[in-house]
Amino acid sequence: MIKEVKKRVKELLDSGKITGFLGLRDMNGHVGPHLFCDGGDLEALVLGDRERPGDSRYPLNKQLIHLARSYPEDTFGVLVRGCDERGLKTLSTWNQLHPDKVVPVGIACPQELAEACECLRPYPDEFVCGEKVEGCPYDSVAQLDGIDLAARFDHWMREFEKCIKCYGCRDICPMCFCKECSLESNELIRTGDIPPEMPLFHLTRAVHMAGRCIDCGLCNEACPADIPLRTLYKKVADIIDEEFHYRPGYVADQKSPLNILSQPGVE
Amino acid sequence: MDYRTALTTCTYCGCGCNLYLEVLDGQIIDTIPCKTSPVNEGKLCIKGWNVHEFVQSPNRLTRPLLRKEGTFEEVSWDEALEFTASKLRDIKEGYGGDSIGFLTSAKATNEENYLLQKFARAALGTNNVDHCARL
Amino acid sequence: MTNSVAELENSDCIFVIGSNTTSSHPLVATRIFRAKQKGARLIVADPRKIHLALMADTYVRQNLGTDVALINGIIHVILERGWQDQGFVEERTEGIEELKKTIQSYTPEKVSEITGVSAEDIVKIAEDFGTADAASIVYCMGITQHVTGVDNVKSLANLAMLTGNVGKESTGVNPLRGQNNVQGACDMGGLPNVYPGYQAVTMPDNQKKFESRWSASLSDQVGRTVSDMLSGLSDGSLKALYVMGENPMLSDPDTAHVEEALKAAELLVVQDIFFTPTAELAHVVLPGSSFAEKDGTFTNTERRVMRVRKAIEPVGDSRPDWQIIQEISNRLGYAMAYDSPEAIMNEIAEVTPSYGGITYDRLEGSGLQWPCPDRDHPGTKFLHKDAFARGKGMFHAIEFMPPAETVDPEFPFWLTTGRIHVHYHTGTMTRNSPTLNAEVSEGFLEINPGDASQLGIREGDEVKVISRRGQIRVKTVFTDRVERGLVFMPFHFVESNANALTNPALDPIAKIPELKVCAVRVEKAA
Repeated sequence: MIKEVKKRVKELLDSGKITGFLGLRDMNGHVGPHLFCDGGDLEALVLGDRERPGDSRYPLNKQLIHLARSYPEDTFGVLVRGCDERGLKTLSTWNQLHPDKVVPVGIACPQELAEACECLRPYPDEFVCGEKVEGCPYDSVAQLDGIDLAARFDHWMREFEKCIKCYGCRDICPMCFCKECSLESNELIRTGDIPPEMPLFHLTRAVHMAGRCIDCGLCNEACPADIPLRTLYKKVADIIDEEFHYRPGYVADQKSPLNILSQPGVE
Repeated sequence: MDYRTALTTCTYCGCGCNLYLEVLDGQIIDTIPCKTSPVNEGKLCIKGWNVHEFVQSPNRLTRPLLRKEGTFEEVSWDEALEFTASKLRDIKEGYGGDSIGFLTSAKATNEENYLLQKFARAALGTNNVDHCARL
Repeated sequence: MTNSVAELENSDCIFVIGSNTTSSHPLVATRIFRAKQKGARLIVADPRKIHLALMADTYVRQNLGTDVALINGIIHVILERGWQDQGFVEERTEGIEELKKTIQSYTPEKVSEITGVSAEDIVKIAEDFGTADAASIVYCMGITQHVTGVDNVKSLANLAMLTGNVGKESTGVNPLRGQNNVQGACDMGGLPNVYPGYQAVTMPDNQKKFESRWSASLSDQVGRTVSDMLSGLSDGSLKALYVMGENPMLSDPDTAHVEEALKAAELLVVQDIFFTPTAELAHVVLPGSSFAEKDGTFTNTERRVMRVRKAIEPVGDSRPDWQIIQEISNRLGYAMAYDSPEAIMNEIAEVTPSYGGITYDRLEGSGLQWPCPDRDHPGTKFLHKDAFARGKGMFHAIEFMPPAETVDPEFPFWLTTGRIHVHYHTGTMTRNSPTLNAEVSEGFLEINPGDASQLGIREGDEVKVISRRGQIRVKTVFTDRVERGLVFMPFHFVESNANALTNPALDPIAKIPELKVCAVRVEKAA
């Protein structure tokens, strides 16, 4: 699989179509984000499956936004899985990335990862390699929906109580691109406290993820308190789908019903 | 365009979390926790997530300062180093090496700590070496 | 730490005492959360109702400075109920009879009177800890920063040995080292009595070894500790102080005394990345480079040596500290010619047995945990596996002693100090981080609402806090994290410097000041 990716990236770089390819590199005994700029230097390129499938995924779209903001004229390649591609499509509708300036190089996720992620579509449209596997339903949401309301509330309050307010769920999120963040507003949520005001802090973030979360699960993996944030945002996504028939990034160019940024007169 | 990520270890607490500093054209623009770290497994605290912020702060000391007639003046490295070395030499010759004390640093690297205690012990002949281990 | 951070996840019982883990060591707290998720019992003892207390199976607030009594009480119950690990005690320890004799009088009832912890809770802690298969102790400065700091640590060691919780996976006596490289600074001989690797300066063999390796004649006299250096400056027996990356003006107790001492120096050299309150008093200030601008290694709390890598060029005209030291040494006539931090590490490995197998190549990946004596050694996950350093583990029979300063009608409040999750130590770095400074931008005094109303203050009001050593002004936060009679302050903020108030009384052995206990008066600010 890696061979095909490297071949594709080499073509893109050698042809001058992209300035650089944002991917993952095995270096110093670890896997991290890296911008490959030379088609002859792809030795260390990896896909983020170090010991388990997907165990070294990074929010590459977030790093891509950093590059695009400084170099708006350049075109970059980026390694994408199904979730990342949904991210690209959604970021484009929020005017954060220009689709003409991004060349996704896609890989399909294996069954094991699709199940662990409960991913509805574990492969990108523009995929280069890997074997497409079926999507998996949100069992974790169904499980919580199955218990009564009071117990469900208790469950979440116990989880939120562990929060050390690192803001890691936001900081790792490839879809959190706002310059000002409600989570930092002292008027809304008292700053300085841990745990942060419950359940206000986490519900505020959940509301902001509505129509935006592409279900990559990186927040869950970044949480030092192991709060099952992904399950919370999956639930929110279900609600948005029921009410508005919208899931971010599944259909290109489809805007979130909550996206008012691109309407005339709204900045 | 010079974009790179440097894998390093957080400088705040004793957990020693591994993270990437994201650098674009010489500016550190972000911190990314290292997913494969045995210590933090892709997680960080609020300090770690923002560890890049102080590095290029406008408040950083960027030039040696020498007190002249009560006030600090920016001076060259040569002048600052010569002043320090000659004062240390004078005090060692006048009062002995044990009249000088050294505080090494729980923030500096192992290599730097090794070097400062070696300097104290070998160059000045004193074991007056300590740091804030107790604080 | 005797054991590794990740091992905590698999403990059956974790006893956290004097550590505000979620604030000060958040990624250690992660492992505690996980252990709890897996069914471990969590015991938290802290005079302040810290975040972790919310999740504890048993949370107790012991009175300030009563840890020895509390631990003796727990040991008393364990012995009385027969929950000790008799096999471990017989094979691997000595001194149990003396311990038993001393412990005799520490009945839960008596201990309850001293500590304020109920007798039932003492029994419950003893049962949870004493009957667990693998129990870990986690502590921090709340245990060590007392005049009885060494006694406190020895008491915890007694508890761990008595229950056989040493030298095996997911157990141990685990001090969380505060600063990122406080472990490394100690390992590297940043202490007055030892060369790198804890080799005593008073042992002629060690002296000879280093004299030969360093081509210099060395002193066989134990040097001065920080507090001895400060008093030496005050009385004139010390003339110069060279400070690299430390800020005693904020970190040390009794700031007025520290300032007087530093001002008395004939030469004060400060090497730092920011212009700290300590630098303000210097004769010469040398701008060092931060961790992001140089290569090197840090050693974390679990003895793991890990790489620091240069991300950017030194800021401004700053220079990496190792280059500055080398330059000064060469000008003084003691030649140093290292071309890189790696060359220094190669010398460290040569002279430091516990770092003997450490090379930069081998640190790629997960780093290495010392002891790592040779190139083929994989490093050491937990200590004391088959034996203690001294052979048999020694129990220490320890009596409770009160703190150096206690409350009285003139100074009726107990003050304790600590860190908050947003800031680090003297705030030199965190207060220059816009995000962190926005989260918490000023110091505060935590006070119980009951006490506050008696003093006639409203939340947010500025108050005067006065101790025998100094006074400061600070705004108040009302909270039941502190009980009546206790107040808390973080020590990160120069504008409301908690260490203007703290007591410099020292532990007689470790010379650690009693930063966690002093007596103060709180007054409405005019």
